[in-house]
Amino acid sequence: MMNQGVNAQTVAAADPNSLESRYAINASQGQAQSYLPSAPGSEAASWTVHKVEGYLSQDGVPANASYQHVQQPEPHTQNVQDGSYVAPLSSSSSTGTASAPQDYNSYTSYSNTTDPYSAYSGYYNGYQQQTNNQYSQQQPNPSYSQPVEAYQNTGAAYQPNSSFQNTGSYAGTASYSTTYYNPGNYQTSGGYPSSGYNNQPTAWNNGSYANYTSYQYPNYTSDTSSAYSSVSAPATYQQQYKQWPEYYSQTEVTCAPGTEHLSAASNSNHGSSLPTVSGGYPTPTNQIQPQSLPPPPPLPPPSLTPTWRPETSSSELPSMQPGGAASGAHDNYWNQPAPSFQTHLAAPTQPIYQNSLDSKTSYENFQELKTAPQGLNSQYPVVHQVSQNYQSTLPTVPSFDARRVSKLQIPTNPRIASNAALGIAKTEKDSYAANSAPRPAYISVSVQKPNDKMSPNNAADPMLKPTMLPKSLRGYVERAFGRYKDDDAKRAACEAYMKDIITEARADGTLYTRDWDSEPLFTVPDSLSISKANIQTPTHASIPNYNKSPVRRSKSRWEPLAEEKMLEKPVSASNEIGKYGSWDRKTFSGYSATKDNSLSSFRFSGPQQRTPSKSAQRPMKRQRIVNGTGLTNNDDDASSDSDKEQSLTAYYSGAMALANNPEEKKRRESRSKRFDRGQGHRPDINYFKPKNAGPANLYTRRASALMLSKSFDDSANQAVEDIDWDALTVKGTCQEIEKRFLRLTSAPDPSTVRPEDVLEKALLMVQNSQKNYLYKCDQLKSIRQDITVQRIRNQLTVKVYETHARLAMEVGDLAEYNQCQSQLQILYSEGIEGCLMEFAAYNLLCVILHSNNKKDLLTSMSRLTPEAKEDDAVKHALAVRAAVTSGNYVTFFRLYKSAPNLNTCLMDLYVEKMRYKAAVCMSKSYRPTVPISYIAQILGFSNAADENGETELSGLDECLEWLKAHGASLITDNTGEMQLDAKASSSTLYMPEPEDAVAHGDSSLAVNDFLARTT
Amino acid sequence: MAYLSMGESHRRITDYLNRFADAINYQDGDSLARLFSVSSDSPSLLSLADALNVFQDANRLIKQSEKFSQFGEVVAPFFRSLQCYRLGNLVDAYGAFEKASNAFIQEFRNWESGWALEALYVIAYEIRVLAERADRELASNGKSPEKLKGAGSFLMKVFGVLAGSCDLQGKGPKRVGALYVTCQLFKIYFKLGTVNLCRSVIRSIETARIFDFEEFPIRDKVTYMYYTGRLEVLNENFPAADQKLSYALTHCCLSKEANIRMILKYLIPVKLSIGILPKKQLLENYDLVEYNNIVEALKRGDLRLLRSALQENEDQFLRSGVYLVLEKLELQVYQRLLKKIYIIQKQKDPSKAHQVKLEVIVKALKWLEIEMDLDEVECIVAILIYKNLMKGYFAHKSKVVVLSKQDPFPKLNGKPVAS
Repeated sequence: MMNQGVNAQTVAAADPNSLESRYAINASQGQAQSYLPSAPGSEAASWTVHKVEGYLSQDGVPANASYQHVQQPEPHTQNVQDGSYVAPLSSSSSTGTASAPQDYNSYTSYSNTTDPYSAYSGYYNGYQQQTNNQYSQQQPNPSYSQPVEAYQNTGAAYQPNSSFQNTGSYAGTASYSTTYYNPGNYQTSGGYPSSGYNNQPTAWNNGSYANYTSYQYPNYTSDTSSAYSSVSAPATYQQQYKQWPEYYSQTEVTCAPGTEHLSAASNSNHGSSLPTVSGGYPTPTNQIQPQSLPPPPPLPPPSLTPTWRPETSSSELPSMQPGGAASGAHDNYWNQPAPSFQTHLAAPTQPIYQNSLDSKTSYENFQELKTAPQGLNSQYPVVHQVSQNYQSTLPTVPSFDARRVSKLQIPTNPRIASNAALGIAKTEKDSYAANSAPRPAYISVSVQKPNDKMSPNNAADPMLKPTMLPKSLRGYVERAFGRYKDDDAKRAACEAYMKDIITEARADGTLYTRDWDSEPLFTVPDSLSISKANIQTPTHASIPNYNKSPVRRSKSRWEPLAEEKMLEKPVSASNEIGKYGSWDRKTFSGYSATKDNSLSSFRFSGPQQRTPSKSAQRPMKRQRIVNGTGLTNNDDDASSDSDKEQSLTAYYSGAMALANNPEEKKRRESRSKRFDRGQGHRPDINYFKPKNAGPANLYTRRASALMLSKSFDDSANQAVEDIDWDALTVKGTCQEIEKRFLRLTSAPDPSTVRPEDVLEKALLMVQNSQKNYLYKCDQLKSIRQDITVQRIRNQLTVKVYETHARLAMEVGDLAEYNQCQSQLQILYSEGIEGCLMEFAAYNLLCVILHSNNKKDLLTSMSRLTPEAKEDDAVKHALAVRAAVTSGNYVTFFRLYKSAPNLNTCLMDLYVEKMRYKAAVCMSKSYRPTVPISYIAQILGFSNAADENGETELSGLDECLEWLKAHGASLITDNTGEMQLDAKASSSTLYMPEPEDAVAHGDSSLAVNDFLARTT
Repeated sequence: MAYLSMGESHRRITDYLNRFADAINYQDGDSLARLFSVSSDSPSLLSLADALNVFQDANRLIKQSEKFSQFGEVVAPFFRSLQCYRLGNLVDAYGAFEKASNAFIQEFRNWESGWALEALYVIAYEIRVLAERADRELASNGKSPEKLKGAGSFLMKVFGVLAGSCDLQGKGPKRVGALYVTCQLFKIYFKLGTVNLCRSVIRSIETARIFDFEEFPIRDKVTYMYYTGRLEVLNENFPAADQKLSYALTHCCLSKEANIRMILKYLIPVKLSIGILPKKQLLENYDLVEYNNIVEALKRGDLRLLRSALQENEDQFLRSGVYLVLEKLELQVYQRLLKKIYIIQKQKDPSKAHQVKLEVIVKALKWLEIEMDLDEVECIVAILIYKNLMKGYFAHKSKVVVLSKQDPFPKLNGKPVAS
């Protein structure tokens, strides 16, 4: 029943318009409500302000929220790159609104946490009651906004955070988070209009976070299932899961699940190209599209929305209180981890509920996801909603929570604690529900553990997503992915490679200088992908270190030096999160910086202000860190940052202490080993690669298997030039003698390639064939192809090329002839025997008659050996050259008649020109007339002179025709013989347009003729 | 070089570094240029190379002092290049030298005045020479010679720096260096046989406003005219070739006989094709005897001599690219032959001198041991008339060339044979 109810709600939500409209409503309502309840007077006031803004920009806000979720990395990067911080700032109002929605979401979530766990139906009802449509839609939006926040928070950990910060709206959100962490910081950053807002919101967020956390637990299970089911997201999910488990185990943090969800969402966003899921969603989807992660994206967003919806619905009314409670819960977590755990445990009943729901949802999600990946927008919304309702309600919430948690964790230390204290009581209640959910989450966690390995993937993903990537690079990435739209495995490989490239570029410092637009796309042959994976591994290996450092920070933030044991567990969890964060740092310098800041809680302002300028500088640092300075470097970096931001140094020191803790080290080592293991295997590559690939281990494995099996088909996607022929040299097995020529668009298939002995037969067959040139040419080309593919370079090769060259000459197919000639020259120069002289002569003739390049002629002539000059064919060719250069038409046509081999054929192509020149010359120098018979004889018309009289006559007639066609003036003298009137003709001769002109210069190859002949 | 002590090596290296630093500090382009000329095999550089081979850690010396370390990017690879050069490893010497040159160009770009142009010239020259030698080494090792090509693109970059400096500063002081680099580029392109690459450089030299051709150093102008003249020879654009090569000849320093000879090598065929014959003394003075017989054949209308002269020096003419030009002189030889016949006939019988029977020509050719039948000779005559080497017409029926009574054999007088 619950599910159904959820579905209904989600369906309602499905309508974008309604959703949007509701959005506004919800936002207003939710905000107002949440404000009132959760916040003390000052906060409420600030909220109201936010709300106002949010209302104004409602549409924009949802969009922003969605942006943040989906695009987080990319959009942010864009903003950063563009240096359009201003824009974000300007939109900050909108962001403020966004944040407001987020707050709402949190509220809703709060309510959800409390209500949902206890009774989904209740949630649903609540949703429905308030505004079913709105809830579903609006809530989703709010949820988005919340996620955004969560992102930001997590973002600190995850990359997304940075992105959030970058976007103006994000900034707002960021500020929120920051405010949560360090209000003071916020203010400093505070150039933000919404700083005041932020502070209050942060409080809200905290509360919401708490709620989320509670939710997350339930979600966890659902998430995991969803993750598994989810197409692309799985990997990320898994990672998250892993992390989560740790979190869970150590810190009850439902946040982990939330993070997972978030990541999933982000992943989905990336993957999915769904344009607009819902009104609010559309923007995210759009953003997603740019990312070009096809399949997964759609799903995640939906999931997010649904979850949000439930939460929102519940939250709307209760949210206020829950918010407070949530905050309290968070605080509890942070401050008093143990208690929170207890509370979570307390709420087991609900978890079951959730579990069942989750499982269902997961199934549905799976199915839905599958459909969704295909990219049907229409489907997406519906599906998502449905699935989301089931799964998302729990999962999505968790994801948000997780993010929030992570974020919260960082911030919580100082201020949150105070907040927490306030809300604790309430949160506990709420948390009960949440707690119940959490337990399932724990269960799920165990499942998720494998995912821990995945965490690197997530980290890696940020690389690609990163907001910091230059536009051109983004375009490059899109192009790269665009090629593999239909092939997950390929895309995974592609993504991995992409990351490599980006890290490399960053390492080189060429990330911003390289011309990505003209950067050739890499190919992702499977074989290559492996190597790439290997290459990547180092970076990944380094990643763990990074992660650790972040972890430390998180610890420090947590409660600097307090309760080590407690911390340790959280630390591990945080470590993973930290990893994310670290990744972000690496990938997006600016963003990472922001993340770091957020983590440290001081830097909030940093992101917006710094990102542009700093991003450029930072890459270096990060790289250095990545390169292995590892933990210490990170710490240093962090510390330096902290120095700038002043206050956190103390925390850091604490973190350092933790980091240096031998236990921690061991743990880290083991973790990093895990990564190493994963990297060692091919499937692992997938983990690292794509967010999209994100799918569960199973999926990745399958994908890798696909990659292997598909390598052949995949190569079809690559440019032919990119194919590594060395690696693809095949041994043919085809026994067919006859084979049509087809330009290879993929690696050759040995079953269609003929081995050498068959090729010899084929050549013989062609030579003896009575069929026309087109047939022979086709056959010869296929023979040539097979020879090339098998890298046969011997006399057979020469023979084939010679045969083809001769045939081409016979029909005047110069293009084909030139191909053969150039190949033959290489073959001859390799010392393979052939008709060297014959073709040297052809080459000379070709240069003389058809290229008319003096320089080439000189080089060709100077290359002739003395022996070559004694060769008849070469002598003939040289004589022809002399005749042509001197314009001696008599000699030319005599040579034409006496040409050896196929020299005639090449000369044929020059005959017309020569005749015309001769006619012009004669008409100028002869007076008064020239007999046609003489002209016919001189100009080679009477080529049958040595045969019977008939043909001679025909030669004369031909000459007459030709002269007439060229505008010659003819007269008949008193003896009846036809004469050329030289004087008259001298001004009337012209070169007629060839009637049968064909592009390729041979009318016999005209299309009509071709069709007629080939049939 | 084992006897070279470490101390002495140290002293030599420090000395070089001091000189280098001083040259830059005092903006002494000539001294700097000398410090770069690897291939000059100057004793000071050779001894430095030996010192470097003994004292392996020259980089430390460079880094030791602020005075030297600022040139480290130039000097360090230069030292490596010098070492490799001394050891006969020319490929590596080229590579290191290009690195040093690159660093130097970066510095050069920042210097406002053109005081270092001399050094730049040396670098442009060295990079080409080293590349040529490196290519020879590569070729002898069976590898594909590609360094000269690389030198070409490097010099193109240098050209860009010189031209670019002008764009920024209007008439920049460095622009006058552009022609030297251009000439080095010509040398590379001609050597590589990729003369078509010259076109872009020529275009920028001849059309860019920043370049005033008269401003360039005379030696560069001569070189430039020589190469562009050669390009015109290849295009068989004889008037232009004549103009450019004549410019080169008249401006070339008379003491540079080798250069004058190189110019004459192309100018003589060009002049021959426009009907101007050189004095024998000239050919002998500049050792261009291969043209002797050709000139003689033109004077006498001796086709056989021409053909044998061409045959004899075919390889040489083909390599220098004048073969096709000389071959075209055949028509002028025919003209001369017919003119002789005409003159003889005129002496015998002035009234019928303007009618030359085809048989007479065939007979004359036969005396020259050249077998041609009537049709072929008829064709030659037709072509002569057509190309305006002979005024008149040919009567096919009677097989007689009817010459114009007025100036039947017009002289070319500096105009090329009509195509």
